[in-house]
Amino acid sequence: MLKVVHYINQFFANIGGEEMAHVPAEVREGIVGPGLAFQQAFGEEAEIVATIICGDSYFNENLEEAKQTIINMVKKYSPDLFIAGPAFNAGRYGVACGTIAMAVRDELNIPVLSGMYRENPGADMFKNSIYVVSTKNSAAGMRDAVKKMAPLALKLAKGEKVGASAEEGYMPNGKRVNFFEKERGSRRAVNMLIKKLNGKEFETEFPMPDFDRVDPNPAVKDITKAKIALVTSGGIVPKGNPDHIESSSASKYGKYDIDGIMDLTEADFATAHGGYDPVYANLDPDRVLPVDVLREFEKEGKIGSIHRYFYTTVGNGTAVKNSKAFAEEFAKELLADGVDAVILTST
Amino acid sequence: MKLELGSIFIKDIQFAAESKVENETLYVNKEEVRQIILEDQNFKSADVELAKPGESIRIMPVKDVIEPRVKVQGPGGIFPGMVNKVETVGSGKTNVLKGAAVVTTGKIVGFQEGIIDMTGPGAEYTPFSQLNNLVLVCEPIDGLKQHEHEKALRFAGYKVAIYLGELARNLTPDVVETFETPSIIEGFKMYPELPRVAYVLMLQSQGLMHDTYVYGVDAKQSLTTMIYPTELMDGAIVSGNCVSACDKNTTYHHLNNPVIHDLFAEHGKTLNFVGVIITNENVYLADKERSSNWSAKLAEFLGVDGVIISQEGFGNPDTDLIMNCKKIEAKGIKTVIITDEYAGRDGSSQSLADADASADAVVTGGNANEVIELPPMDKIVGYADVADIIAGGFDGSLHADGSITAELQVITGATNEMGFNKLSAR
Amino acid sequence: MFALVIFLTGGCMIITNNDWVYQKFKDSCNVLFIKGSYRDVLVKVRDKIQEGHELLTHPLSSSLKPNETPYKSIIISENKGTLNFDSVYIIENSIMSYDKFNKNKLINLTDKIIEDFKLIDLTVLESALDI
Repeated sequence: MLKVVHYINQFFANIGGEEMAHVPAEVREGIVGPGLAFQQAFGEEAEIVATIICGDSYFNENLEEAKQTIINMVKKYSPDLFIAGPAFNAGRYGVACGTIAMAVRDELNIPVLSGMYRENPGADMFKNSIYVVSTKNSAAGMRDAVKKMAPLALKLAKGEKVGASAEEGYMPNGKRVNFFEKERGSRRAVNMLIKKLNGKEFETEFPMPDFDRVDPNPAVKDITKAKIALVTSGGIVPKGNPDHIESSSASKYGKYDIDGIMDLTEADFATAHGGYDPVYANLDPDRVLPVDVLREFEKEGKIGSIHRYFYTTVGNGTAVKNSKAFAEEFAKELLADGVDAVILTST
Repeated sequence: MKLELGSIFIKDIQFAAESKVENETLYVNKEEVRQIILEDQNFKSADVELAKPGESIRIMPVKDVIEPRVKVQGPGGIFPGMVNKVETVGSGKTNVLKGAAVVTTGKIVGFQEGIIDMTGPGAEYTPFSQLNNLVLVCEPIDGLKQHEHEKALRFAGYKVAIYLGELARNLTPDVVETFETPSIIEGFKMYPELPRVAYVLMLQSQGLMHDTYVYGVDAKQSLTTMIYPTELMDGAIVSGNCVSACDKNTTYHHLNNPVIHDLFAEHGKTLNFVGVIITNENVYLADKERSSNWSAKLAEFLGVDGVIISQEGFGNPDTDLIMNCKKIEAKGIKTVIITDEYAGRDGSSQSLADADASADAVVTGGNANEVIELPPMDKIVGYADVADIIAGGFDGSLHADGSITAELQVITGATNEMGFNKLSAR
Repeated sequence: MFALVIFLTGGCMIITNNDWVYQKFKDSCNVLFIKGSYRDVLVKVRDKIQEGHELLTHPLSSSLKPNETPYKSIIISENKGTLNFDSVYIIENSIMSYDKFNKNKLINLTDKIIEDFKLIDLTVLESALDI
């Protein structure tokens, strides 16, 4: 029989809600909480041998330690599969499920599965890395979630071929998989058109790449008087990366003073970006964040002035949602500081 | 315009002393067929073979697939402007040998693709594995130029299909379907409440090996225009396209255009199917602009509420598709587009060479890069040596036992962009 | 979008790695012969577009996959103007498309096949110049 280890949070283990989110990871033999529904769905094919419970706050606040502890717990059972969740719309639980599932897969090399509501932040973060089944937005959808997750779980545990997202119920993960529909393409096109014409909801079979187009602002009236700020996703930070901006999937941005700095040098600045060859950026960080040229312009009167602070993050796999949130925050500061224009550099 | 399409079901095909249809079997006099092919001095020899559903046969490299039809009543003949006179077809009565096809093969250029497996996993991907096929293997005279070879082979296919279709002239069809397109005004009066829908049919038109003909005219020399849907059922549009096996529209596809059939199925019920706009896929970017401008203009002129747009081929037609979609949507007309994908072997690459946010309703014929294993067949019909080239892609793709590991794109009709198949991707 | 500059000024330039195209048009057109791959042609075209030339034919002309044919000819405007974003968009997408194909198929091409590819490339180009 296939062995499964199940990960849930304090709430689903019936320990308590937010007030108990600090509990550290523990392991219990056998089934706890929603594991029962999975066990029923697995029948004789698989057995949940252990359930790991961890408070959401504990997990997120003691990330490395929690990950290691849980991986060790899982390892002991040498399971054929690791299931995390489903987390529905619980954000921190979703992120924890995705994080631990990915870690277990990478460390122990066993298949993993999670389930979340599509708007759970964990969904966006992990759906392209692990199989995340799309669930309803609350625990009331448990039955439905298990119905979709259990068959996929068994397939993964057995190492069988996984079909297309539309067949298996996982969220599209950027990998296109062929399968046979019930109707031919032309009939599907006619059906889709009828829905579209009648203003009904329809689902495209191929979502176009996300175009988040921004209309350009009107031109700066007088650039020789404008105060210009520098913002980059190229990861230029003071040497040593004082705020520990992640080299990929950044969760934060930095704001650094360049008052009086005429030129970014190897001695004081470097890139934190893990997505490109950093050699040239580190040799001369102006290549990514052109402080030197702007200082010249400033001196020559070609621009008014350079804003005292630059803002920086790493654009390497960083969720669009995060980037938007960063910008919304510091755009207010820029406005408050009287900045007229921003030069955005990427890599 | 009204056409009665009568189907005579064909369940078997056999060689015989006399060509005829009897008890759902198509009997073919091989010698007569050979003589038809050899009328063309460009061929030095010709062979004819049979391939039936379920047989362990691999046909390659396939050029075209043609369904035998005959005009029983009404003006013109099948393939007007090509074989028959340039008479407007699409009305009266036409009989079809449903379940039979003529398949032309030939090494027009050295690298041609196109596999039809009659059994096994490959057979599931091509609709032509379900047909009783008469396969033509024609040997060109030495030194015949590629475009002359293409043309000769194209015509050999039409002539044999017409020869077979002729056998159905006096038969009573098993099923008769009636397709009728009223004039714009009549249609509007008949169904004032229903949304009006047109079909934008994109035709491959890029030069040698990439051509489509409308009443004998090379589509690349034509502006976007209109055609009655039933005209296609009489062979007004034929394929001269030899590349991109998986997503080329063969003459069989044009005769049996699935979008036309499925729109007719809803005509008068949920929508009013107004007609077909045909537009080309030229190489010149200015042509693409002009042709798509005209598609949008004609759609607007017809006063339609929605269109379905279908595509042919890989790469640059994505640009035509997106231009058509974008410009028609900009007129306030709703679109659904049908395409296929080249998303790489692992499915993670960008699927199309072009994209636009207005293309929010897409039907896909699947990822043509997905890898498939084709087991060995007992018999190869056509040219066995091309297997090397068709499959010769990556390490060990053609195996000693004759099995092939290849991308889906080598299979004729596998990811058809008219939506002929059930294959899709997510 | 794509202004019909060519008809007004008459100027176009062919960028090709196909010697048949070069031989045929070198006396009548501005032909830049690239001794290199299909991709080299795409990249050279990209460079030219970045200098302000306009793309006149689609870089993925013909439905031959980039892993089938080694030859490519593309027409751009002879004149330089301001950067044409549609041209940039199409050439960048084409390079991306090119890169996703596995290129091993191009090993072991026979002379006959090489000639066929040169011919197809030439005729597709001619179909564009025909208009």
